Amino acid sequence: MTVDVSRHPLRSLTADRWAVAGGVTIVAFLLVAAAAPLLSGLAGQDPYTYDLNAVSDSGAPIGFGGGISADHWFGVEPMTGRDLFAIVVHGARTSFLVGFAATALSMLIGVVAGVTAGYFGGWYDRAISRFIDVMFGFPWLVFVIALGAIVPAAFPKQLLIILVIGLFGWPGVARVVRGQTIALRQRTFVVAATALGAGPGHLLRHQYLPNLVSTIIVYSTMTIPSMIGAEAALSFLGVGVPPPTPAWGRTIGDAVAWAPTDPMFLVFPGTALFLVTLAFNLFGDGLRDALDPRTIR
Amino acid sequence: MRRTAVALAATLILTGCGANDPKAAEGGDSGGKGGKLTILSASTDINFDPAKSQNLAITTLGLVLRRLTTWDIQAGKEATVVPDLATDTGTSSDGGKTWTYTLKDGLFYPDGSPITTADVKYGLERSFAAELSGGLGYHKGLLVGGGDYKGPYTGGELASIETPDAKTIVFKLNAPYGDWPWIASMPAFAPVPKAKDDPKTYTQNPVASGPYQVASYQQGTSVVLKRNPKWDAATDTVRAAGPDEVVFQLGQDATVAAQRLIADSGDDKFAFGAGFVPPAQLVQIESNASAKQRLVTSDAGALAYLAINTQRGPLKDVKVRQALQYAVDKKAFQVASGGAVGGDIATTLITPGIAGRQEYDLYPADPSGDAEKAKQLLTEAGQSKLSLVLLSENDPQSLAQAQAIQQGIQRAGITVTIKPADENTVIEQTTGDKPDYDLAISSWQPDFPSANGNIQPLFGTSEIGGGGYNISRYSVPEVDTLIGQALGETDAAKAQALWAQADKRILQDAPVVPLIYTKNSFLHGSNVKDFFVAAFPAYPNYLKVTLSN
Repeated sequence: MTVDVSRHPLRSLTADRWAVAGGVTIVAFLLVAAAAPLLSGLAGQDPYTYDLNAVSDSGAPIGFGGGISADHWFGVEPMTGRDLFAIVVHGARTSFLVGFAATALSMLIGVVAGVTAGYFGGWYDRAISRFIDVMFGFPWLVFVIALGAIVPAAFPKQLLIILVIGLFGWPGVARVVRGQTIALRQRTFVVAATALGAGPGHLLRHQYLPNLVSTIIVYSTMTIPSMIGAEAALSFLGVGVPPPTPAWGRTIGDAVAWAPTDPMFLVFPGTALFLVTLAFNLFGDGLRDALDPRTIR
Repeated sequence: MRRTAVALAATLILTGCGANDPKAAEGGDSGGKGGKLTILSASTDINFDPAKSQNLAITTLGLVLRRLTTWDIQAGKEATVVPDLATDTGTSSDGGKTWTYTLKDGLFYPDGSPITTADVKYGLERSFAAELSGGLGYHKGLLVGGGDYKGPYTGGELASIETPDAKTIVFKLNAPYGDWPWIASMPAFAPVPKAKDDPKTYTQNPVASGPYQVASYQQGTSVVLKRNPKWDAATDTVRAAGPDEVVFQLGQDATVAAQRLIADSGDDKFAFGAGFVPPAQLVQIESNASAKQRLVTSDAGALAYLAINTQRGPLKDVKVRQALQYAVDKKAFQVASGGAVGGDIATTLITPGIAGRQEYDLYPADPSGDAEKAKQLLTEAGQSKLSLVLLSENDPQSLAQAQAIQQGIQRAGITVTIKPADENTVIEQTTGDKPDYDLAISSWQPDFPSANGNIQPLFGTSEIGGGGYNISRYSVPEVDTLIGQALGETDAAKAQALWAQADKRILQDAPVVPLIYTKNSFLHGSNVKDFFVAAFPAYPNYLKVTLSN
């Protein structure tokens, strides 16, 4: 009685040109992230080595478009002369790592909390639901900034960010999954399985979860860009991944001050962040349309 | 900027560098009386409590509070100490151990009551109170009994400050101290009427003795100063008191403030920035003729340095610290600080312009460093896998500087982890008693235009922790002895020679890496006149600023 995800949803997904474009972009960026050292190595660059010959005495990049040249494809970072192409492609690694890991964490917590709340109901459901309300209203950004000051330097900052935005990202998915679970409870196949004496373990694993898969996939796809955005926001504010690890948000934050004199410093990482979040959103939209039986295409 | 802004004191000789004087005089055309001056500040708070203040005599606090003496800072001229509330800069007797001051006539608070020496005494006494710590405290160790005194709230009066009548005040010192007139220009020498003192609110609501009083104080937003009707220009030689109103806009992002001043529109024509212009905007100003005219850059002022925590693990080994001297990339740090306009490469502790300074370089290398030499010293020290934590403030400028240091040191095979933290956390870590860092970047401008101010606060054993700025936690008895000798030396030339000796002696132990002698750049609106930065201190003189009508 489960919905077969692989049958015609895939066909309707491939018919959606925007979703395909989004998917292609995502794959392209994934490849770039995976091959970051190779790509930046083509011109003999890495994101850490200073090249003070590429900047003027006052720190501004020398040459057209922020120092674009055969060696520096995207130009260089002002004040350091580090290769901007290397910074952008390595920054993709940071964004994807944090985006995927935080999404996985929040999905895991959200699904478990949502399914159990919807299935068991009663005081347990009320407690979880109130807790979700609290989490929604929690000023997490302020919390993260404060946390950054307390956590010792030895604790890896990247892991801290994944944990924090993952732990604050689950209430949305929990609420949706809970609603779906409650709706499933009334469905005849669930009622039949219950009447035949199936226990909670069987019901959750074989009746509920398979019917929640499409929701979870779509929600994950939509969550990834918001997680990437959250990491960029933290880095922008100076409380994200510490330098010199490349991160788009921090580079964008640095670039704002340089926008009038070196706009390309802002354009390259800004475009990368924009494309990735847009691609995930388009793909997620297409996926939702394809998986939702009520959408007629 | 705090550490730099903070520490300043008395200057004498330093302004002798004539080569740069014409630049300092730029923008020196005069305005008139009246108008509303706006000052853009990154701080969220202005501390007007003289006991807690480390303000320069010529900036914010100087607009509201007068002291016994003050500084006469003029474009292209040497800084001098001049009388403020007092009739002269002090009369010494008892071989320099007793200093006597007499107040001028016609000094009143805004409510019309007269300023008395009892108020000056009380103002000084409260600076000893634990709840009002944090201000410049050079007087505390000099006054007889100052070491044990706990302030007027719990400790009664301090007997070594005598006020035989309402116009006379006498200071009794532990030892002869020729620079006492400079000490009497510190914020704590401002009068505080005992009846109006509330230690909790005085920081926002001080009793004015200068040309302005605080009219409104909104934390994090703005502070408005209006004229003090009882201030008499005839008694004051250093304050022009041009504008009718001075508004501090607080919490202004440095980049945004600089952009506003570059644009120079509307009220911003009557504004200047209290903070330094960030490097990105310095580049922008290069190609903007109007803004370029309104940019004022100081001579080499504060020393920016990398402090090495000499009490941590492998850093106790002088060989390792010497390796760092070669590993650091001063050139990259200079570029990250704005390039040549941000400062000149440094090799000494005493800053240029201070009398008696001797130029030397114990660790000669290219400005970009010498990684091979550093590796060799590390091998000699038996350190192959060193991993260090670099504490840095988390604003973009500090992080850029931290990365410049990091990439330099890593060339020598040392792993450096940057630990970003907000400003208050960094101060607490570096000046507190629980240091958790190997390296930290700091900068220091002397509170005095004397080599004393370059050396003692940063390298004296007494300045480790407890709010002191010996952040490399450097403690060598031989150096302490040398500092003691130099402090006690009354002959200026001999004292200078001792300080120069201490300078070299300390760097042999390599507790810090001198990076650059920083230059500060400030931007002002087109209707702001008399805006200049003299050779010392490397900050604009707020007291002289006027507006064109």
